[in-house]
Amino acid sequence: MDKQLQQFLTGRNWLREHTPFPREAIDAHIESGHIHLKPGIQKDENQALFGQLKKYFCNRCHNTTQHLFHTFHCARCNQNCTYCRHCIRMGRVSSCSELLLWKGDHARGANAHEFAWSGRLTPLQQKASEELLSSVQQNKSHLLHAVCGAGKTELLFPSIFRCLEQGKRVCVAAPRTDVILELFSRFQKVFPKTTIHALYGGAPDQEGFAELILTTTHQLYRFEQAFDVIFVDEADAFPYYADETLQRAVKKAAKQDAGIHYVTATPTKSLQTTNQSVLSRRYHGHDLPVPRFDSLWGYARQLNKGKVPLKLQQWIEEKTKTNTPFLVFLPTIEMLENFPGDLPRVHAEHPDRKELVMHLREKKIPGLLTTTILERGITIENVHVAVVGAEQKIFTSSALIQISGRVGRSFQYPDGDIVFFHHGISREMDKAQAAIEGWNR
Amino acid sequence: MNCLICGDAFQPVPTWGKLFLYEKESSTCNRCFSKFTKSDTTIDFSDFQGTHYEGAVDAVTALYSYNEAMKSYLHQYKFLQDVALAQVFAKTLHETFEGKEGIVVPIPMHPEKLVQRTFAQVDELLNSAGIPFQHLLTKTATSEQGKKTRKERLEASPLFEVRASVEAKNYILYDDIYTTGATIHHAAKLLKDVGATRVEAITLIKG
Repeated sequence: MDKQLQQFLTGRNWLREHTPFPREAIDAHIESGHIHLKPGIQKDENQALFGQLKKYFCNRCHNTTQHLFHTFHCARCNQNCTYCRHCIRMGRVSSCSELLLWKGDHARGANAHEFAWSGRLTPLQQKASEELLSSVQQNKSHLLHAVCGAGKTELLFPSIFRCLEQGKRVCVAAPRTDVILELFSRFQKVFPKTTIHALYGGAPDQEGFAELILTTTHQLYRFEQAFDVIFVDEADAFPYYADETLQRAVKKAAKQDAGIHYVTATPTKSLQTTNQSVLSRRYHGHDLPVPRFDSLWGYARQLNKGKVPLKLQQWIEEKTKTNTPFLVFLPTIEMLENFPGDLPRVHAEHPDRKELVMHLREKKIPGLLTTTILERGITIENVHVAVVGAEQKIFTSSALIQISGRVGRSFQYPDGDIVFFHHGISREMDKAQAAIEGWNR
Repeated sequence: MNCLICGDAFQPVPTWGKLFLYEKESSTCNRCFSKFTKSDTTIDFSDFQGTHYEGAVDAVTALYSYNEAMKSYLHQYKFLQDVALAQVFAKTLHETFEGKEGIVVPIPMHPEKLVQRTFAQVDELLNSAGIPFQHLLTKTATSEQGKKTRKERLEASPLFEVRASVEAKNYILYDDIYTTGATIHHAAKLLKDVGATRVEAITLIKG
């Protein structure tokens, strides 16, 4: 048995064409029963009343949305072949491709772990951290409900360390690559002797067997029965709750008796956990800035005509004059692209998103127009925020809470302006405001 | 309907043409499709003047220019092998070929390469547009054009062989991208040599 192969494939669900190992090695392990093969796409044919009903299922990402399957005549298998468009960015999985699953003994980590963290938790953080640790030890799922800027990552350290010491394989999943990269450098310092891998789209190959894996939720499609403990950070983030397959991916990546724990500022009802702790104060102890509502009647029509509504214009001018960095959130990419003036703007498809955010931090630009892509995970000192069209459907209460959470995150500037410009107040806006006021009480 | 490129739901615009089923339904939303820009550069053959390829091609039509949107389209279509994306240009291709007289001949792939990629990207584009075509050429060279310089491409030994009989008729070569024109000229010369009257070329992209 090849040790490297074992270390690589343990817990994985991997497309055969993409393995970094020679064909012969894989073949030999299939023959010896160490590797189990699965077809990429499964087809269920149910005899329905009218003809046949075909239903496809992707064995990697567990996608069942039928319009995301496409059938064509394949030159490799020389017959009609179906592939999954949902996870195509990780290499196409089709009817004639094979997935490798490791069936032999699982690889084990050989490191003695060390916990090198000298920071201190506030009493509130300490309490939440202990509650989480006790849930982790009892293997009960835990929800850590912490406001934006509460210092959530530190709370996880003791629990993760305990699991590693017990020889468990641990996973921390977060929605975005930026977050993973930030966590990676922090975790490497805190656990200097542990093998840690960071996985995201375009990540380099990493060697050895990782006891701790930091990954974007998407990369979990490539795991099956891999982890003893999973922490899902920002569990309510847009792609996670909107895309059911991601929720299934977390369950698939976990071993049968594994504990799954969630960390979020805005829990949705669908997150069901046995235990819960709430952390309603920021690490600096100040109140959360409460959003104020301001009417901006007919903003869509005015913007369509190429005019910035007066109140918004005044707000932008005031921030520019006082040299305060600001973010303006817009509901659609179209509105963002057609916004008059030459303010820099970012959206999901924008290539230099990171640079523009850096420029804002360094005050090279006065402000930034954005879609909900910047709603979480970014910290800009003393930033003020306006949401235009806060009543629109895309701004759910959790999105609005996250957006409000961008303001007043630093010790020096614990307060700031957060305004929801609207064309009529929505229930979601009320909910967001009430939740923030509730935490401050 | 969900857009094939961004995946978002969109409302197709109803038209009389669609109601009477002679107009093809678009498979992408307006925002995505408008990012492809029509090519307005005219293609000149000055590179081929004085070589034995002069006069091999009678006309070339290239539909789109190679911009960021097209680059990511080709990446997903060819490299990630998302065959479904062949439908994106079905409507434009259908309109372009309408009214053209001649036998459509797609530029072929090498058989080994075809098995690797699992589909012929050039043929699939024509298939989705409902354009009938004939494979008259076989690719013999395995090396990739993309890795060669312009000079190497022109001086290369024949890239294709004729595999069926060619009559004194009009032919329309079709390829996905026109870069230096070497591929099209190689193929056109071959067809002319065995008796084609007129050889025109249409490509999706001007590289």
